[in-house]
Amino acid sequence: MLDSLSNSLKDAVKKLAGKAVVDRAAVDELIRDLQRALIQADVNVRLVMALSQSIKTRALEEEPPKGMGVRDHVLRIVYQELVSMMGPETEVSLKPQTILMAGLQGSGKTTTTAKLCRYFQRKGLKVGAICCDNFRPGAFAQLQTLCQKINVPVFGDPAEKDALKIVKEGMAAFRDVEVIIVDTAGRHALEDVLIEEIMQINAVVKADHRWLVIDAALGQGARDQARRFHEAIGIDGVVITKMDGTAKGGGALSAVAETNSSIVFIGSGETIDDLERFDPNGFISRMLGMGDLKALVERAEEVMGGDDLDVNAMMKGKFTLKDMYKQLEALNKMGPLKQVLSMLPLGGMNVPNEVYDVTSVKMERYRIMMDSMTDDEMDDPSLLGTSRIHRIAMGSGSSVDDVRELIKYYKMMQRALKGFKGGGRFSMNRMMKQFGGGDKLL
Amino acid sequence: MFEGLKNKLKGVRSRFGASIEEHIEESPVVSLPSQEIYAGEESSHQAESIPEDHQVGELSGKRIPPSGKETNPQKDGFFTKVKTLVTEREFILSEKDLEEPLFELEMILLESDVALSVTDAIIAHMRQSLIGNHRKIRQSPDEIVTAALKNALREVLGEGLDLVGFIRSHEKPVKILFTGVNGTGKTTSIAKVGAFLRKEGFSVVIGAGDTYRAGATEQIRVHAERLGIRLIHHQEGADPSAVLFDAVEYAQAHGVDVVLADTAGRFHNRANLMSQLEKIRRIFKPDLIFYVDEATAGNDAVVRAAEFEKTIGADGVMLTKVDMDKKGGSAISIAHTIGKPLVFLGVGQEYEDIVHFTPDLIINEILGDDA
Repeated sequence: MLDSLSNSLKDAVKKLAGKAVVDRAAVDELIRDLQRALIQADVNVRLVMALSQSIKTRALEEEPPKGMGVRDHVLRIVYQELVSMMGPETEVSLKPQTILMAGLQGSGKTTTTAKLCRYFQRKGLKVGAICCDNFRPGAFAQLQTLCQKINVPVFGDPAEKDALKIVKEGMAAFRDVEVIIVDTAGRHALEDVLIEEIMQINAVVKADHRWLVIDAALGQGARDQARRFHEAIGIDGVVITKMDGTAKGGGALSAVAETNSSIVFIGSGETIDDLERFDPNGFISRMLGMGDLKALVERAEEVMGGDDLDVNAMMKGKFTLKDMYKQLEALNKMGPLKQVLSMLPLGGMNVPNEVYDVTSVKMERYRIMMDSMTDDEMDDPSLLGTSRIHRIAMGSGSSVDDVRELIKYYKMMQRALKGFKGGGRFSMNRMMKQFGGGDKLL
Repeated sequence: MFEGLKNKLKGVRSRFGASIEEHIEESPVVSLPSQEIYAGEESSHQAESIPEDHQVGELSGKRIPPSGKETNPQKDGFFTKVKTLVTEREFILSEKDLEEPLFELEMILLESDVALSVTDAIIAHMRQSLIGNHRKIRQSPDEIVTAALKNALREVLGEGLDLVGFIRSHEKPVKILFTGVNGTGKTTSIAKVGAFLRKEGFSVVIGAGDTYRAGATEQIRVHAERLGIRLIHHQEGADPSAVLFDAVEYAQAHGVDVVLADTAGRFHNRANLMSQLEKIRRIFKPDLIFYVDEATAGNDAVVRAAEFEKTIGADGVMLTKVDMDKKGGSAISIAHTIGKPLVFLGVGQEYEDIVHFTPDLIINEILGDDA
């Protein structure tokens, strides 16, 4: 289900490629798939509607910047709008501070508290945790067990019923501690008594930060819950937990939008070190089920900008060993061949899968063999006869068979390009247009 | 419970009703060549279209749903009208008539945390059962819509499970395994189910199978102590299968009726943890497996329910934190995904905050008493 969804999103994106003007129907389709993807990721339905509306307006009204294809243009807008929804990036300061943790039952506050202790401890700060969850049995034992492993002191008293008293005593006991993290009992928006309690705790603690812990699986309710917490204590950061499951964490976005804050940390595993700083790009990619969107756009721009490849010559069907050599070099910089090829302005051609079935080790060998070729041979591979192949094999320390394999590989690539070119002037024109938005997402 | 969904659905039901009703009103009185009916349809659609566009702009949820009382006069009015008409006349609903209300229903379901795939299934069912069907005009629109929704939900919710009857009719001890992802409330639920079964007159022993999470054993120990239930536990890090095996041994030796087995929360995408769960199942040989998930979960509820069902199976669902989230959509999502009945709802922080559930009860809860 999820895969089929992201595939349909990719298809919608593909339809935009090769278009010279923004096609309303294609944009509509993209928006619809985007909406479904976001709703499936648990982003608040109303937020999705508002967001998709503004993406649509921008996509249809804004002129694509010069030299940028329609698809890149639209993708960029999607990316920008999603990022802006996530709020500004927050710095986690390494100054002495007090952090109050709030959230629903079972969202992972206690585990996150321990993880945060670890985070600040590793940054060289003196850390202490206060456990004022005296409702759930075992809460203190849990925090203590976790913190004992990393030698962080925990203040708490499971027998004491008054959370405020614990906090007061804890704050006094931790006077010389630099970072104090206050773990609270789970509570939800509809429990007025408990909301009142956390307001009082907040008043006593005078926390520098009040972070809301959100389960990645939290659904449409995230918005209302976040609002209530925000009204009560003024949330200034959101921590998403359980991102190691399959949940997409869209609920956290609703919470961020509601509290006008941003996502600070992401919990992504069961051990105490599984806490990551929030990375909007990775988050978006995961949510939409598409590859690394930002990097793709950025790297593609880099590639498009360079004059390394004689695109025009290649379009005329002149794909020489030199071009292949450049590709192999680019490969070193840019990762998997499939991705690299997909970023090169080869239009939407279908490269046979065998072309990709070449390991990076082999690629490196090919490069060395090509280093043993003359310029003429590189420009016109048809020169390569038996004696030349023999010389190249000797020069590069490989066998004649290896060199023949390289030539075979080269011919395969060439055929793939030719195959694309075939189809007359019409397809050439289409391909030229695709230059603007070469097929960067496979 | 489920007030949110209930109120919203009431709203959309009356909208379906209105579009059906208008449809009938505008249809020519003399039956029946279909062309004429379609002509009537179009005019009715036009008549509707202006206010509707306006309404859609502000999105479904914001509209104040009419309460049950308001729908009744509408019904009455309709019936008096019907009396003056030929009662056996039929009408056909076209896709066009239902587009708006169906979209609205879709939004309502989505906003209520019914997962996208499940929403699609329900909408498809509604569409299929409403569109193109010949309807006797005697049926009130509300009845038509309610019946369709009810069928859609019943199809989704499946049969119920009578736990008390099950335990009575099976060889003792009846072994119940609780599974689910982290933080859904397995341990608390076990305490509640333990209290519930005790009240029903069964003797209970709990196996502390969560040997992983820090403080888990301590948590269940306190619960068991408070409830006066015997707890079998080892130390943290022990093999959960061994703990649960001991719990069964104890139950057999002491003639205990029910063994409740806690397990550590685990994510369905962790192959090792899931195979550990399989081992637990092999050794513990549960009579019933309860899958525990939370009412607050969104679309992921479907993914993980399916995965748990696939790897170790489930005989019933326990939905927790229902008091946190009145929308109740995840109940529908999960039940639809694994096709297993909802057995219990957790509705609060006290031991007695647990509701034993049957599908008809849910449907009636969601659609109101007149459903």
